[in-house]
Amino acid sequence: MSPLTFETINTTVLNTLSRPGKLYWCVIALLFGGVVLGASCWAYQVLVGVGVAGMNTPVHWGTYLINFVFWVGIAHSGTLISAILFLFNAGWRNPIARAAETMTVFAVCIAGLFPFIHLGRVWLVFYMLPLPNERTLWPNFQSPLIFDVIAISTYLTVSSLFWYTGLIPDLAIIRDRSQGIRKKIFKTLALGWSGKTGQWMSYTRGYLLFAGIATPLVISVHSVVSWDFALSVIPGWHTTIFAPYFVAGAIHSGLAMVLTLSIPLRKILKYEPLITMDVLESIAKTIVFTGIIVGFSYATEVFISWYSRNIIEMETFRWRAFGDYAPEYWIMVVCNTIIPLLYLSRKFRTHVVPLFIISIFVNIGMWFERFVIIAGSVAHDFLPNAWGLYRPTFIEGGIMVGAFCLFFFLFLLFVKHLPSVSMTEMKEMIHKTE
Amino acid sequence: MSTDAVIVTGLFKNREETLAAVQKIQEQGWQVKEVHSPIPDPELARALGRKESKVGWFTLTGGIIGFFSGFLLAVFTATRWNLIVSGKPILSWIPFFVIAFELTILFAVFGNVLGILTQVGLPDKDYEKNYEPESSGSLYGIQVASAPKDVAGLKDLLRRTGSLKDHKETI
Repeated sequence: MSPLTFETINTTVLNTLSRPGKLYWCVIALLFGGVVLGASCWAYQVLVGVGVAGMNTPVHWGTYLINFVFWVGIAHSGTLISAILFLFNAGWRNPIARAAETMTVFAVCIAGLFPFIHLGRVWLVFYMLPLPNERTLWPNFQSPLIFDVIAISTYLTVSSLFWYTGLIPDLAIIRDRSQGIRKKIFKTLALGWSGKTGQWMSYTRGYLLFAGIATPLVISVHSVVSWDFALSVIPGWHTTIFAPYFVAGAIHSGLAMVLTLSIPLRKILKYEPLITMDVLESIAKTIVFTGIIVGFSYATEVFISWYSRNIIEMETFRWRAFGDYAPEYWIMVVCNTIIPLLYLSRKFRTHVVPLFIISIFVNIGMWFERFVIIAGSVAHDFLPNAWGLYRPTFIEGGIMVGAFCLFFFLFLLFVKHLPSVSMTEMKEMIHKTE
Repeated sequence: MSTDAVIVTGLFKNREETLAAVQKIQEQGWQVKEVHSPIPDPELARALGRKESKVGWFTLTGGIIGFFSGFLLAVFTATRWNLIVSGKPILSWIPFFVIAFELTILFAVFGNVLGILTQVGLPDKDYEKNYEPESSGSLYGIQVASAPKDVAGLKDLLRRTGSLKDHKETI
């Protein structure tokens, strides 16, 4: 393989923006169909009422909030890769940073939709905003739900601005190599960037500060999401380890999603010279690390409930492992902690097929983790006569399928219209290694 | 520089050649007006005598405004009716700190973006003036100011220092 130069990086990335073929548009159409299915299910729920979802006493937090937490988690590794690894100067992040940041933006947008869907009467969404009602009564800023509104809105704003700021020099490269309407669009988007020395100085300082600011934000956002649960008194939720447990889980699921996206992206867009096997291997090693943290958290939860001698907590964790949701619990344990250990074998982490398959298992496991935590805790709380079970309905399933289709639909549109690998960061990487 | 001065832009293929050329051009008494590069380079900035960026001050100011705005929002709204919820004090500083923290981040980022835009000088409608499009992709463009009568000598110097091509534009 010939060594990378600035020009080969430009050519490799810009070639991905060529006119897509029929297969691309067929996949886009298929995904759009899924989005329409999800939107139709939501429209049906708005017309008929939130009763069409499977949520009922005692489980009032169902698939919608499971998906909310799942997508916020997916978003997190984008910021981990783009901000935290940037601060640590980890070179392997550069080829995947743009795709991961984009994943963050789309995942937060989708996560943000679920509280709207969960509300049922979506037109009352402004109750969540810091606005007074007609009696000048404001939202309660002591409530973790309001923390969450503020945290997620901040996260969406910050990650979108971070993503766009990172894109500016690359947009200028496309602008300078385009003609006609495409040039006009990129001229507007690049804001007149010309790579002057003074521009780079302020830009790099601003970018570094962005990374520095995004790092505590990403940790705070999933901590705040965990407090939606931990600040209640529900057994299985009311625990102090939830914040680090959720943050580790978020990074675990997000890294798995980065692998799920990067492997086909690398093959289809011919990114092999940029997204090398070493990069994928580094992600796999990090997944082993986060998987061990997640496994430790599962064990700690069980230990805390046993050590507390609180019979309700002990019953909750016994029921999780051996009760009605035992299959979901063991899917969670096996997919998130046992299967990722396969990456300890070099054979598994240096071949794209096992890398891809294991990443899918982690995605599935992390979805079930949220199911077990959210539905599994409220289904079996204090009073045996109030216990119940929850199963999602077709409407909830349709909305969930729609959300996944929307994510991949947006991501596919992105990879053919904007540079999915940061040309500038790749050049900086090879410049540093020269 | 008189108003009839011209800018001559030379294009160089890598950073090392560019740095050497900047040094040589300055030694010969020419004024390097600007360097366009595909990646940031602190040494080039030092060679051109660029001052430290002030973006951090915008970020800091934004963060301070955000921190106090968050606290004030929570305190103001809680004291409109003085309703005790879940037995917590009206002014619950720990929960309010979460709001203050998130708004610190949000406003620091707004400050940061404002700082980038103002310090980088974006949006720049006149970016095309004296700009070589190849310098965004892989080459380095050095802009040197010259009196019209000295252009030939300057172009010769640029060629000798490794310029792949050069062009001139009137200021």
